[in-house]
Amino acid sequence: MASLKRSLDSDPFAANISSKVYVRSTKSGKVQKIVREVYLRQDIPCSSKLCRGCLKTAPKDAAGRTLPFVLSDKPAGTKQFPQGHYLVPDTNAFLNAMDLFEQSSAFYDVVVLQVVLEELRNRSLPLYNRLIALTKSEDKRCYVFFNEFRLETHVARDEGETVNDRNDRAVRKAAKWYGEHLAHASGAKKAAVPAVVMLSNDRDNLRKARQEGIPACSLSEYVKTLKDGERLLDMIPETQDQDITASKDSRRSGGENLYPEFFTMSKMMTGVKGGLLHQGIFNVSPYNYLEGSIRVPAFPKALLILGRENINRAVDGDLVVVQVLPKDQWKEPSTQVIEEEAITKNENPDAEGEDFVSEKERKALQEEVKRTQSKTTEGHAQPTARVVGVVKRNWRQYVGHIDQSSVSKSGSQGRKQDSVFVIPMDKKIPKIRLRTRQVTELIGKRILVTIDAWDRASRHPTGHFVRSLGELETKAAETEALLLEYDVQYRPFPKTVLDCLPKEGHDWKVPASTDDPGWRDREDLRGLLICSIDPIGCQDIDDALHSRPLPNGNTEVGVHIADVSHFVKPNNAMDTEASIRGTTVYLVDKRIDMLPMLLGTDLCSLKPYVERYAFSVLWELSPDADIVNVRFTKSVIKSREAFSYEQAQLRVDDASQQDDLTKSIRTLLALSRKLKQKRLDAGALSLSSPEVKVQMESETSDPIDVKTKELLDTMSLVEEFMLLANTSVAAKIYEAFPQTAILRRHAAPPKTNFDELSNQLRVKKGRELSVESSRALADSLDACVDPNNPFFNTLIRIMATRCMMSAEYFCSGTQAYPEFRHYGLASEIYTHFTSPIRRYADLVAHRQLAAAIEYEAVDPSVRSRGRLEAVCKSINVRHRNAQLAGRASIAYYVGQALRGKATEEDGFVMKIFSNGFVVLVPRFGIESLIRLRDLADPEPQATFDAETYTLTTTGSREVTVELFQKVRVKVTDQKDETTGKRGIKMELIKAI
Amino acid sequence: MPLDTSAYSLALLRVDGRRWNELRRIHAQIRTQAAADGSSYFEMGHTKVMCVVNGPSEPGPRRGGTAAAAPGGGQSKDAEVAVSIVVAGFSSVDRKRVGRGDKRILELQSTISSALTASLHTHLYPHSTINISLHVLSQDGSLLAALINAATLACVDAGIPMTDYVAACTAGSTSTYAANDESADPLLDLNHQEEQELPGLTVATLGDSDRVAVLVCESRVQVGRLEGMLAVGVDGCKQVREILDRVVREKGRRMLQEGTVEKGVGLDEMDMD
Ligand SMILES: [Zn+2]
Repeated sequence: MASLKRSLDSDPFAANISSKVYVRSTKSGKVQKIVREVYLRQDIPCSSKLCRGCLKTAPKDAAGRTLPFVLSDKPAGTKQFPQGHYLVPDTNAFLNAMDLFEQSSAFYDVVVLQVVLEELRNRSLPLYNRLIALTKSEDKRCYVFFNEFRLETHVARDEGETVNDRNDRAVRKAAKWYGEHLAHASGAKKAAVPAVVMLSNDRDNLRKARQEGIPACSLSEYVKTLKDGERLLDMIPETQDQDITASKDSRRSGGENLYPEFFTMSKMMTGVKGGLLHQGIFNVSPYNYLEGSIRVPAFPKALLILGRENINRAVDGDLVVVQVLPKDQWKEPSTQVIEEEAITKNENPDAEGEDFVSEKERKALQEEVKRTQSKTTEGHAQPTARVVGVVKRNWRQYVGHIDQSSVSKSGSQGRKQDSVFVIPMDKKIPKIRLRTRQVTELIGKRILVTIDAWDRASRHPTGHFVRSLGELETKAAETEALLLEYDVQYRPFPKTVLDCLPKEGHDWKVPASTDDPGWRDREDLRGLLICSIDPIGCQDIDDALHSRPLPNGNTEVGVHIADVSHFVKPNNAMDTEASIRGTTVYLVDKRIDMLPMLLGTDLCSLKPYVERYAFSVLWELSPDADIVNVRFTKSVIKSREAFSYEQAQLRVDDASQQDDLTKSIRTLLALSRKLKQKRLDAGALSLSSPEVKVQMESETSDPIDVKTKELLDTMSLVEEFMLLANTSVAAKIYEAFPQTAILRRHAAPPKTNFDELSNQLRVKKGRELSVESSRALADSLDACVDPNNPFFNTLIRIMATRCMMSAEYFCSGTQAYPEFRHYGLASEIYTHFTSPIRRYADLVAHRQLAAAIEYEAVDPSVRSRGRLEAVCKSINVRHRNAQLAGRASIAYYVGQALRGKATEEDGFVMKIFSNGFVVLVPRFGIESLIRLRDLADPEPQATFDAETYTLTTTGSREVTVELFQKVRVKVTDQKDETTGKRGIKMELIKAI
Repeated sequence: MPLDTSAYSLALLRVDGRRWNELRRIHAQIRTQAAADGSSYFEMGHTKVMCVVNGPSEPGPRRGGTAAAAPGGGQSKDAEVAVSIVVAGFSSVDRKRVGRGDKRILELQSTISSALTASLHTHLYPHSTINISLHVLSQDGSLLAALINAATLACVDAGIPMTDYVAACTAGSTSTYAANDESADPLLDLNHQEEQELPGLTVATLGDSDRVAVLVCESRVQVGRLEGMLAVGVDGCKQVREILDRVVREKGRRMLQEGTVEKGVGLDEMDMD
């Protein structure tokens, strides 16, 4: 028998084949060893326009094209490298200072090594994606060099060598090869060949590179030689800086480690697998920055994480692993408001880590302990836990402003680096310590910063400055801040997207000839009396309706939706952009469109008096509003009128109007009432959130007044038929694509979500809240009325809404049918179909419906489950962010409208703490905290009865405040001079 | 872990450093087990398989069973090609045991059987069975192609008359089905990672011709891209055939040389030197 072992020996190419071994651990905790083949070659180009050799052998694609060379033949020079230079950054350079590479003033001609790209991908997917975007941008001249596949630069791991050392060596080898290759291949004189500069912040790596004769710089050394180096220096994270400046390092290392060490990843995974540890998303309480919670499958109630030490450097949104504390340490959630700003106000950003838990924090926490120990808290106690490690950080860029009180008064002149605190806009994010050379310029500005690290020895996370958005409280800066904070894509549409628009532009028309391919399989519905009803000033009209009597006594009702999928074809640049944006975002004075204006407000918009393509849902409804049949068709319509809700309401109410259009609206209105009653009978919830509208002065668009939204019958009319259309479409696309239909579900909330609210109702109002089903909940919410307080019912609905889960998009194959249920609407199946101009989910539903009625072939992207799941995941986030951004925008403008005014308003107590209470003012839709110390000076004494939710103060002011109570408050707008933060302030006038 | 297949567009290089139209390293041997009628060993990258052929043999005296109960082949006019595949537990990363009754294995067996039946002159051996047993030692994509190539070599070694080599390889496309990229490059010879992430097909051709003996496509791909993939695949089959042919001729030459020494049969006059 011949030997099979040494097959490689006989192969002449064996020298060019290498194996790479990876070790990977699976979800179940198994460790797998993966061996990959690597084919080494000598025809991977350097991609420098100076090189003459590489072009000949560069790889060609199947069409015989080579990729153009990207590195400039005349790269920019610096003081240190006057002959010009290419950069070869290592992984840490990207990890720590990606922002630098995205600058337009410097960082051109960058060689991104494969080893760096791979490492970056393992460490941070978002950064990897940003780097890929850089390599694709035409002006940055970034080239990905596959060093691991090139024979000369391939590096095998030596025995005993760590992966990191090997990778560093690979970077050095590639940098060295580049230098030699260019000198050789360009044929230019030595002095004229650009230097190939390795960028690294690893001291060891830099030292070795210099030993080997490779030009190498640390990030800060390099940046200092650039023209606007001063500014760029701020973008280099300070932790990295410290790595290099050893002197500072040693000074700091004298400090104690403040936080417990994290467990190793394998220890955490084993613990989670064994049920000893638990994994989940860390959430910070909005009222107490020292209290977090985490939901884990093993416990019905959220685990509480109390205090700095237990929170152990977790930041809101991080994926963490926790250990449950012994039962005798279980506690009730805090009844006290603890605000970071108030407590850590006077900390000095330079004197880091002298006292881990400050005296004030300790006092605040002790109050807590006293309270929990003084009472038997059996039954109320919640399991507590401590964070033992972070699996994945959810750090992003944060908008904030510099805490003026943290700026040292003496040192702000000159270009010395100062430490300051940045207070993020998001209250749940801790203060970030920032080192900057431009404090004076940044004070009073909205700035964008990132968190770089949070060491055990550092009380606060450290970060670096990214850019300034402008003066605080200017409209431009605040709007951009909002958009950034909620990750809204607001840049103008790129040319590639605009190229997808119809060439005719605004002159595009529905073709006159019905033989035109555009008319294929479209029904001509131009003869129907169709109209649209929308909010005043609506430009992107998604939907229009009609009704007409049928001879058999039934009614034909049609919902006509803008045919966006006719204009936005799958997978082109416009579609990709829309899928990333996910939704149109409405701010008070601004709309950030999902689709370019031409489509959204013109070609797709179902404007009156012009013909438009539409996607129609046509029902035959019985007089009782039962569906006799339904069909779907692409169509051409001509809307007769675009009404506002108010106009339509006036017309319906005016008995003298007897034209066919008005009559048909009345028919729709009558039917919609029946539809609504059916939904309510089925257990649909009518939930509530305080909704207000900001009135703007038309000239200056300054906010002048705030009004609560009025509810009109015509709004309910439109809503009912949209719900009906969505439900009908959902059933149809699910029938056609059982595995891949895009649907929307609303899970039933866990019963425990209502524990607190139902206890509050029982204690304060003697009412029971039944939550067994949506029907039971709806009924008991209906019963929650207080004859003396008409707003009470709405208040309870607002509070109940906050106990709900949020609705989500999903792909039908990922859930069992019973899980499709939309709890709030009491519908078995639901989707979004009626707003394709402003929601991407609807566009996908349109494509699926078009395929389901065999209007067009199924596009693979709407049938691929993996793809759809990714789309759902992304638009769920976008949808939520858009809502939050919209609300934040209203809150900002309400604040602006109140600026300089002081009004007295009625409010209601919706949450109560031992040292304050939260009041909701319905007129402005705002809620605000009133602390004990806001009641009087000196701060009054208070006793808090947690059982009856009552707070009684004595001493400097005597009041009794209880939950659900009506109060009279003075609302003003105030700026905190020390922090530079503006906000609504409420003062209690009297309890009613 | 290394980059995924989407990195191709960065430099027109695949996850293992190959270009779109390159085969992996192929290594093949025949007559690896003297005891069998025919045997072979075949590697495509890290996919490694072994093949043993026994037969054609007429059914021996049955032990106990009736003729009717025996599998059909023995009774027909042509020889039956019986293929069995054993997948070693250590052949893949997750080290899962694959049973003989596994659906995927049954399908592979029947595909290989019908492909070889078409090339082997089975009519020369009525009422008999050609037993082809394949062992999968290591898997890294293109398993069916490797199995077909190994089986072809072993049949050659067993001296069973056949029309021509059945040479196989896989082809794919550089972008996923969902990406729907019409301009995606076709790919030759997929490794495991590419098979997982990208659409692909297995094709086998008969000898030097463009006659397709096997075409299996289990992933979703746009028709527009199929033609390019098929063309690349067929071209790859020709390269594979060259390699198979070289291995057979080399072994033949060596056997002639060594045969004089080993078996002592008077073949001096055939010695080429
Ligand atoms: Zn070159």
